[in-house]
Amino acid sequence: MRVPVGVKVGAFAVAIMGSYTYFANSIPQIESRPPQELSLEGGSVTPAQLVKAGEEIYTTKGTCEICHRIGQKGTRAPDLAGIGGRAGKTKPGLSAKGYIIDSLLHPGNHVVEGYPNIMPAVDKPPIALNRSELWALTAFLQSLGGTVDVALADIPATAGAGGVGGAAAAAVTLPGDPKAGQAIFAGKGTCIACHKAGALGASPVGPDLSQIARIQTPEYIMKKILDPAGSGTVAGYPKGVMPPMFGQSLTAKEYVDLVAFLLTLK
Amino acid sequence: MKPRTSASSQGPRGGRDCAWTVLCTLTLLGLLAALPAEAQEAATEPAYRAFPLIGSRLAVWAVAQLHLNFAAFILGVPIFAVIIEIVGWRTGEGRYDWLSHELVKLTFAAFSTTALLGALLLFLFVGYYPRFWTYMTSIFFPTYWIYALLFFAETFTVYLWYYGWDWLAGPRKWIHVGLGVLSNLFGTAILVVANSWVTFMISPAGITESGALKGSVWAAINNFTWMPINIHRLIANIVFGGTIAAAYAAFRFLAAKTDEERARYDWMGYIGNFVALSAFIVLPFAGYYLGREIYAFNQTMGITMMGGFMSWLWIIQAILIGILFLGSNYYLWLGMERIPGSERYRKYVPPMLIVLTLGFMIWATPRSLVVTLDEARAMGGTHHPVLGVLGVMSAKNTVVNLMILTTFLSYILYRRANKVPTKPWVRTGMAVQWAAFGLAGAVVVFYGVYGYFVESIVRIGFSVYQVVAVLGALVLVMALDIPMFRGARSTGTIRWGTIAPRSQYVLILLAVTFTWLMGLMGFARSGIRQHWHVYGVMRDTSVDAVTPALGYAANVITLVTIAFFALVMFIFWLGGLAEKGTASAHGHAPAPAIAGGRAPDA
Repeated sequence: MRVPVGVKVGAFAVAIMGSYTYFANSIPQIESRPPQELSLEGGSVTPAQLVKAGEEIYTTKGTCEICHRIGQKGTRAPDLAGIGGRAGKTKPGLSAKGYIIDSLLHPGNHVVEGYPNIMPAVDKPPIALNRSELWALTAFLQSLGGTVDVALADIPATAGAGGVGGAAAAAVTLPGDPKAGQAIFAGKGTCIACHKAGALGASPVGPDLSQIARIQTPEYIMKKILDPAGSGTVAGYPKGVMPPMFGQSLTAKEYVDLVAFLLTLK
Repeated sequence: MKPRTSASSQGPRGGRDCAWTVLCTLTLLGLLAALPAEAQEAATEPAYRAFPLIGSRLAVWAVAQLHLNFAAFILGVPIFAVIIEIVGWRTGEGRYDWLSHELVKLTFAAFSTTALLGALLLFLFVGYYPRFWTYMTSIFFPTYWIYALLFFAETFTVYLWYYGWDWLAGPRKWIHVGLGVLSNLFGTAILVVANSWVTFMISPAGITESGALKGSVWAAINNFTWMPINIHRLIANIVFGGTIAAAYAAFRFLAAKTDEERARYDWMGYIGNFVALSAFIVLPFAGYYLGREIYAFNQTMGITMMGGFMSWLWIIQAILIGILFLGSNYYLWLGMERIPGSERYRKYVPPMLIVLTLGFMIWATPRSLVVTLDEARAMGGTHHPVLGVLGVMSAKNTVVNLMILTTFLSYILYRRANKVPTKPWVRTGMAVQWAAFGLAGAVVVFYGVYGYFVESIVRIGFSVYQVVAVLGALVLVMALDIPMFRGARSTGTIRWGTIAPRSQYVLILLAVTFTWLMGLMGFARSGIRQHWHVYGVMRDTSVDAVTPALGYAANVITLVTIAFFALVMFIFWLGGLAEKGTASAHGHAPAPAIAGGRAPDA
């Protein structure tokens, strides 16, 4: 039987593409997942926990490993082994934590001789670390040959302002009433029983939400209220404490008002 | 010149095509006019909606890739179609005019499908990514109107170009050629406008920290990757158009029933491959430029692209490009067998094959190998002690430049296969040509080896010297070759149609591989933004924010490529049906004889 040309050509083309596809499926399969936001504000975190969180940021969201090595001379960026010890001696008048924090926020001011000025400010997009993450990362870098003494208050309040998605986050305007939301926070929502929000409340049971709109995305805040367990737990706080029933107990208007209030906390 | 199918003979089908395209354009314009209102609406809408079953990302991905494939074809083919028409016009050879018309006919059939897919893509963005589209509109709204107007201008010019083929023949041919040139200018302008949107997503410029436009929209258009992508896409479109036209000719060759038909489509396939190869040789240089600008915009993005989670993508790319190089050369070598006098040059084939094969192997060598823990321990790491040295850019840049030089040599030998130069300065000319090849090869190898002993920042600059050496050799050799072989003695005419049928499968291999490569590069361009719609400005917070692994991407690329070829075959089949109908009804002019004709200089 004579096979039509179209069938032969079609089978040939499919075989070519099949071989490419097979090869692409047989090599290492690496996905690029969006980084998780870390929030430590208001939490009681030990230095060890802070360093561990910072190490995680160093290898993931911070993308530091792309250029820096620890214990190995890099071609694009300096070796960070012992940075915690030598940071305090690098610039007169600047403490170790001061040098590290400023290097992270204004890398162009501290370019090490022999290396190009290529490092981006880590609190700006696309890396966009928030204050908590900067705090943890600084602690990790201090731990490399130095003493961890950095506190959240050492991180400038303006740092990480652009780290929540830029225009996308800024463009979110909810129809809710923040004033009514404040009343929900202190009243029907019973949020005040666990959280502090600026001058409102003082409970240490849950994280301090005084700057929640600065460090978290609106999407995260909205999801967290409806699905607390599914949105992760802030380091240093016990899991499963936040009740999961706000989706049922609050009306749609109350929910939107509450989110609108939380988005004012910057 | 042979008479061409008249406008009237294309009547009903042409009218339907025209109506489709105008309808699509009007729909697009209507949508654009409604966009400000849509944008207002979108501000109160959810950021995303979910496309049924397959999800929004996959829907956009598939339609975007299909649209880009069709757009590349309809923008690439007319560029060389008009050049071929000019050749026919100036030389008075009817076969070039026939070929140009044949190529525009293929484009024409795909025109309305491209517009339809473009409109569909826009619907998907507006409907499923409303917040993203609102943001893009806030920056680029003025360009939408320019795009729509250019689309109208392109549509009318192309239709006039196609339908006016007979009407503007003879002394009015210059007007017809002018229309072809004009339609290409409009087409390129459309590409350039659309590129501004896509490149802004990769390397945004002209905006404040919060993403608002600072001043003129020009700053957003003229971002870091805009011009490199304009150049890269323009060249790639020509390659793509050439390979698809050659594959079409290959199919017609294989299905041909007469020697004359085989000869005609053998020649068409050769021209298609020649066009593709000529543009393909310079494509890597445009790629370097694009890569350099990505690094200039953002080092992190550049490093993520080349050394991060995407590093294996470049191994696949190397394999595909290696296949393209080998396939193109193999086709030329097979083609030489139908040229009397080419026997003189057969001895060059084995060494060229060795260079290409070794180059292919080195280029496709990964830096880090996929190994078991035991194997890694035995090797002392994931870098092979010997092969690991070949996995770095110094080696890869060197071999790709040598492969370009070898491919160019193949073409030069093909070009002179049935010619014996008679100029008195032949010996000197040949010596200079070989010296140019040798010097370029030496410069490429020297900087390739030297690159191992310097810092990366210095090494990156070496690729410029390598590229300049190769381009210089290409220009010098060609500048000597043209006058040297003008008026050369012929050793016989090309026996068109007698080429081995396996050569036609090579043309199909090239078309399929290049289409698949375009899909892969589309994934790379989009994937380097990772979880950002607009890099560093607008974060992707959808459920699809994960950038998938290469296996998943390859599955999608293959399915879309199959869909593309299925659509193309269907459209060409439809075109063939209409042709048959009109040929019998209106007495279609026969195609010019190719077999035994003069060997094309191309």
